[in-house]
Amino acid sequence: MHRIGIDLGSSFTKGVLVNEQKEIVDYFVSRTGFDFNKASLKVIEHFSAQHEIEYPIYTCGYGREKLTVPLVSNSEIIALSKAVYDIYKKPCSVIDIGGQDTKFIKINSQGQVDKFKMNRKCAAGTGSFLEEIAFRLDISALEFNEFAEEASEEIRINSFCTVFAVSEIIGMIKNGSNMPGIVLGVYNSVIERSFELALVEDFLVVTGGIPDNHPIIIKLFKNKFNNTVSPAKSQFLAAYGCVLLNIK
Amino acid sequence: MEKQINMSDKPEILKLQSTANLRITMDDYFNRLKTAEETRNKKIAWCTSVGPAELLYSMGFEVYFPENHGAMLGASKTADKYIPTAVAHGFSPDICSYLTSDIGAFLQNETPLQKSGFKSIPTPDILVYNTNQCREVGDWFSYYARHFNVPVLEINTPLCINQLSSSIIHTVAEQFKEIIPELEKVATQKFDIDKFRDVIAKSHDGCVLWRKVLETAQNIPSPITFFDSAIHMGPIVVMRGTQYAIDYYTILLAELQDRIKNNISAIPNERFRIYWDGMPLWYKLSSNAKMFAALDTCIVASTYCNSWIFDDLDPSDPFESSALAYCKLFIVRADEEKEKVLTKLLSDFSIDGIIYHESKTCPRNSNNRYGLQNRLLEKTKIPFIEIHGDLNDSRCYSEEQSIISIETFIQQLSNSK
Repeated sequence: MHRIGIDLGSSFTKGVLVNEQKEIVDYFVSRTGFDFNKASLKVIEHFSAQHEIEYPIYTCGYGREKLTVPLVSNSEIIALSKAVYDIYKKPCSVIDIGGQDTKFIKINSQGQVDKFKMNRKCAAGTGSFLEEIAFRLDISALEFNEFAEEASEEIRINSFCTVFAVSEIIGMIKNGSNMPGIVLGVYNSVIERSFELALVEDFLVVTGGIPDNHPIIIKLFKNKFNNTVSPAKSQFLAAYGCVLLNIK
Repeated sequence: MEKQINMSDKPEILKLQSTANLRITMDDYFNRLKTAEETRNKKIAWCTSVGPAELLYSMGFEVYFPENHGAMLGASKTADKYIPTAVAHGFSPDICSYLTSDIGAFLQNETPLQKSGFKSIPTPDILVYNTNQCREVGDWFSYYARHFNVPVLEINTPLCINQLSSSIIHTVAEQFKEIIPELEKVATQKFDIDKFRDVIAKSHDGCVLWRKVLETAQNIPSPITFFDSAIHMGPIVVMRGTQYAIDYYTILLAELQDRIKNNISAIPNERFRIYWDGMPLWYKLSSNAKMFAALDTCIVASTYCNSWIFDDLDPSDPFESSALAYCKLFIVRADEEKEKVLTKLLSDFSIDGIIYHESKTCPRNSNNRYGLQNRLLEKTKIPFIEIHGDLNDSRCYSEEQSIISIETFIQQLSNSK
């Protein structure tokens, strides 16, 4: 029998299939859209096509209360912390950059959440900031990443506001600034917002859809805080943590 | 294995029987104001919520409190309709949303009081404010003074008071005395020190009862929540210094003591006790009450409700004691003093965790802006979270994000219990 963990994110729904040895045997991700139930059922259908599933489903994230399948609901912050501690087994700081949230979590030596903080009520420092700028400039995530790799010098973005940041960038382009430098500035803007959330100490784990899809950001995090890691497929960790929290 | 919190079981919150009396008490208050408005049998003074209400009541005024009106606009979820109107008239969306919603509603000629038969808000004969809360009250009252062409009087209290010196108290007491001649020009009766002493005595007694009401929440489990207190504080705000407030809190206190005697708790299964710092989210009062109850969490104490305890009032020295009471108020104090007050409250109410509400348009009622939250954590080891919102402007509040924070915080507390 296999268990399913689902993290219903604002942009993407992430699912993991976990075997009886508590190992992830499959991953699935799709856009969440407006129908949370449908997004979750898509994950369940994908996994149950090849494996026998044990209910309930273990969930976290937005809109999980609306699902029509038997479920156990979890805080995504607690779930993510569980999965991160399961990997590193030591106290650490976590910065998770998702579609609309950026979270800071401090995990203690027992693997429990000591404190946490989320971004304030705007998109500054979240995945939406990057997405919106990329969309307005008609650049894919891959190209965004490549531009930053090419950059020799950062061109700093001042604006907190996503919309005004685009206006600022358009002004920079008009004045002849180079795209690699601008894109590097955009990434560093996200990183600066993350470090503003709380003091990062000892060991930093960066997770979420943004480091998975924009790997350059991990390198940039390391420039600011050397002892930084980002596990592979880190956007699935909260879903995995949901399962870990509930099985012995 | 982590302890799970099941949000799907929504427990019933036990309603206070006294709520019926509260409604009558508040209706009577507004009826007195309405009679004064319609018949002009009494003069109407507007006063800030922690202004010199006792002085005004002692001189025969009916007293109207715009902040109470602002809270009504928030609780009735209409503030968002009015704020843009005030903004269009030149008020910044970043200033007090009580002010912007109140003035916006006035500009649209709408008020929740119309449901109680008012044509508009009561017309002032005079306005009196105390800057002990913030400077915005001055701008707010001055707007109406210009509009109605009536006098506006100021008690100017220094802010961020650390050492409450006798010179500060004396200066404020003198200002209380200095406004009397101006009040007498408008009032139908002369100032009478004995009447003032009598109102001060009643205010003191009402405040003591209100303190005792709040202190019932020291009991485990608590018979009352912050969400109850935020509603039941109406009489101590608008009828401080009258027998009406004393009568009401005598009834409420008896009910709460009866709950304690019979081990009746405000929420069905109290596991966590929280301190709420900052303003209420008026537009989410009911849904937040249900959410916290579902999380087996009782908000047992708050900076906001505790701010209306003026038990330093003393009829034998009415001016100096009024000045002391209104300068000792939490919001007027420097962070060092605030820390002492909070440390005591956290201990007295057996607090497990603190929620700081950082209110976008009420910086003076947001105590997490200068590092106090971290200093208090270091001192007390009581964990906290910060949520970002506003007292009246719901556009500043991200509900989903806040719910995630609150649920996680309660799980965090559950792991440490």
